[in-house]
Amino acid sequence: MKLDRTRVLERKRAFRRQLAALPIAEKLRMLDALRVRTLAIRRASISGATKKAVDQEAPPDR
Amino acid sequence: MINTMQADGVLERYAIGGAVGATFYLEPVATLDVDVFVEFHTEPGSQIASPEPIFKFLHDRGCPMENEHVVIAGWPVRFLPAGSPLLQEALAAAVEKDVDGTPARVFTAEHIAAVALETGRAKDKARVLQFIEADALDLERLQEILSRHGLGGDWQQFERQFLKQR
Repeated sequence: MKLDRTRVLERKRAFRRQLAALPIAEKLRMLDALRVRTLAIRRASISGATKKAVDQEAPPDR
Repeated sequence: MINTMQADGVLERYAIGGAVGATFYLEPVATLDVDVFVEFHTEPGSQIASPEPIFKFLHDRGCPMENEHVVIAGWPVRFLPAGSPLLQEALAAAVEKDVDGTPARVFTAEHIAAVALETGRAKDKARVLQFIEADALDLERLQEILSRHGLGGDWQQFERQFLKQR
């Protein structure tokens, strides 16, 4: 299989445009799902080995 | 809930900014909280605007506090004072959007970009780039806002750093 980087990037841009055009209520539901996943990943990351790095990360988004 | 606070005079006016505000114009922008910029109600005879009535109103309606956030409908919401001329202008120019039949006041795309440029962290600059790539900004209007608030230099630096090789 040949990887056509230009086409991949174009498809990504098209997908982002599609997402941007969704009704806002749907986008907010997606945000909610994203937040739940982010929190789950963050909780899983807070183990002894990674705690220090997590503590030092930037403040929440603005 | 926030519309009720405004109707009850708990806060003067409000608008959603930050990542959730950006989501009104772009693809969903992942975030852990909602930034709501507000003009606090000033108590009669007092020069100091206090956020206390907001927290009391929400606490009385069962919204729990989590650090600097109030949790409304499962979302941590951060109330931020519109404390700079740029934020005050953004608040005054905010537009009303319909969310499943509920009106919500949101910063314009140009004001979200200007505030992000002023804040200046890496993720804020990434947000400005998202707006540009999505062609979601009126660049002339953005330039006017930036020059009004002395951010022309920040824009030039941003352009040099990210836009010149495009």
